[in-house]
Amino acid sequence: MGILHTALVNMIPQAQLSALSDINKGLAKYVKDSGLQAPFFADLSQMLREVDLDAVFISTPAFTNLPLVEQCLERNLDIFLEKPLAHTLEAAKKMVSLVSQKTIVHASGYLFAHIALFQEAKKLLEEKVLGNLFRFRSSIYISEVFSSRKGWYYDRAKSGGGAVINIASHLLYLLFWYFGPVREIYAKTQSLYSEVDDAATALLGFASGVEGTLDVSWSIPGYRLSYLDLLIEGDNGTLELTNDYIKLYLYKSHKKYPKEWTTIHKIDLGCSKFELGGEGYFEEDLEFIHCCLKRKKPTVSFKEGLEVQKIIEAIYRSAEERRSVRMGEDDR
Amino acid sequence: MNELGKLILGSNAFEGVSFISRSQSVHYMEYFSRAENIVAILEAAFNLGVKTFMCSNCENIMAALGEFKGNREIAVLPVIPNAYEYAREASEKGVLGAVISKAKGFSMYQKVRLGLRALAKIKSVISRDVLNLLAELVHFELASFEKYNLGGVILHGQITDLALSSHNPHIIDIFQNLIKETYKVQPVLATHNLGILLPQLMDWKIRIPVMAPLNKKGFMMRPSQEECEKLIRETDYYFIAKKIFAGGRLTPEEAFAYLTDKKAGSFVVGVGSVSEAYHTFSVAKSILKI
Repeated sequence: MGILHTALVNMIPQAQLSALSDINKGLAKYVKDSGLQAPFFADLSQMLREVDLDAVFISTPAFTNLPLVEQCLERNLDIFLEKPLAHTLEAAKKMVSLVSQKTIVHASGYLFAHIALFQEAKKLLEEKVLGNLFRFRSSIYISEVFSSRKGWYYDRAKSGGGAVINIASHLLYLLFWYFGPVREIYAKTQSLYSEVDDAATALLGFASGVEGTLDVSWSIPGYRLSYLDLLIEGDNGTLELTNDYIKLYLYKSHKKYPKEWTTIHKIDLGCSKFELGGEGYFEEDLEFIHCCLKRKKPTVSFKEGLEVQKIIEAIYRSAEERRSVRMGEDDR
Repeated sequence: MNELGKLILGSNAFEGVSFISRSQSVHYMEYFSRAENIVAILEAAFNLGVKTFMCSNCENIMAALGEFKGNREIAVLPVIPNAYEYAREASEKGVLGAVISKAKGFSMYQKVRLGLRALAKIKSVISRDVLNLLAELVHFELASFEKYNLGGVILHGQITDLALSSHNPHIIDIFQNLIKETYKVQPVLATHNLGILLPQLMDWKIRIPVMAPLNKKGFMMRPSQEECEKLIRETDYYFIAKKIFAGGRLTPEEAFAYLTDKKAGSFVVGVGSVSEAYHTFSVAKSILKI
């Protein structure tokens, strides 16, 4: 992901790649060979001392996020932080508390906010095309883990978890974006191959009254790329959102949308100015740079990242304690 | 590009790729998991005079190529590296594990031949020397195709575009020199950012055929349909058009009518069944007057 963001920033005319840092000194050679015209530092402190920076992209293992953010905040740098915000809710809360004391621009890498089709669905829901929403079912799958794994990504103490925090978190952001804060969660997780969760099912109740299910697995065959399916029911019909299309079924016409079926294909929504690594990444980085220049809040700031982290934590807690978890129950 | 036909059979459907829906993707995955269904399409295309086949080295495709009776009479255009397979394997086994796993599929002769290189490769992976790694990946990937007639070799769009965004002409230089000198065939760059890549190639003074989306809907034509059309019209790079059906949103009639006045040397055409192959290639030949 670090290589991807580096390459993308390189393609944004308003941004200049000034330095790269990684604790792995061997990457210096990769940076040189890749043709990236920026000095490489194995020591972040040295980079921050020696290079005059405006903003940083942090794309490192989740357990390192908080200390890295703290260092960058000492220099008042704007920060783009890859998702998840942190490996624990406590670390995520601390991060949001720290950035709220500064005037920096901060963004969290929940990519779905920058994908045109998902933005279109958001617009439809805001226009009340479906009327009042009451129910949904959702899933996100990818074929990735089919044997025991090692490394920080599969170590809950470092990554914060498995399929829920790494894969479902994108869908959880989308649900939060569409339906608002979560009220209550009941969830079960399964570890099939690794020591973290490889699959999970959750029943989510939102403060808005919408209720539904989420299913995630990174150990299911047939999904070369991650695939999302979200069916939303409202009192004027249904909306199905996938990676490929939005399919509306309306009981009554709504503005330009006729009664019964309408399909909006991703292909018909146009495409980005540049693409690398998949849909949305360029737009995500471009928005962050623009927000830095205009001192605006990005669509997904650390605050939204924290809301997702709260849901993730509640899913894990519900699964561990085998009970329904009300959001904020510890705050009372 | 003498060996390239005007029409090239693509392999997205054989790899389960669909831009329309998950259900179509699942159908493709299931249907084309049986090599004989790919062979049937290769035969249909061959009978219609389409004798260039662009593909990655997926297991089902390689099995079909092996079974296809006309496999020595067609030009094969490998797209390398098989980025999706490496991504999947690398998440499972690490980059080195992915490469070694791929090598397990080689014949004893291939293994012996590549054995000496493998030592250098492993060293290069560990030191993350990206340029050496690229060269070794090219050899590994092309080893699967060595008994076929290569019409050219296409660098995967993700690698081309990574080189583009890293402002790194060396990756492209290494690729094209390797393909020309070692394999004596034409290197081609795939890209999803034609409008940015072509001016950059001109600036770098790199002359190489380019393959990119070209379709009536402007699907994946970046930064815009107008800019891509203008560059294709005004530059003299050999251009191979792909995504001509805009991911399945255009009929063959609509797609080829748009392409009649476009300055493309070749067109990559993907089909999902034998009947679709006969219809699509017949329409293409009729409209493009091939």
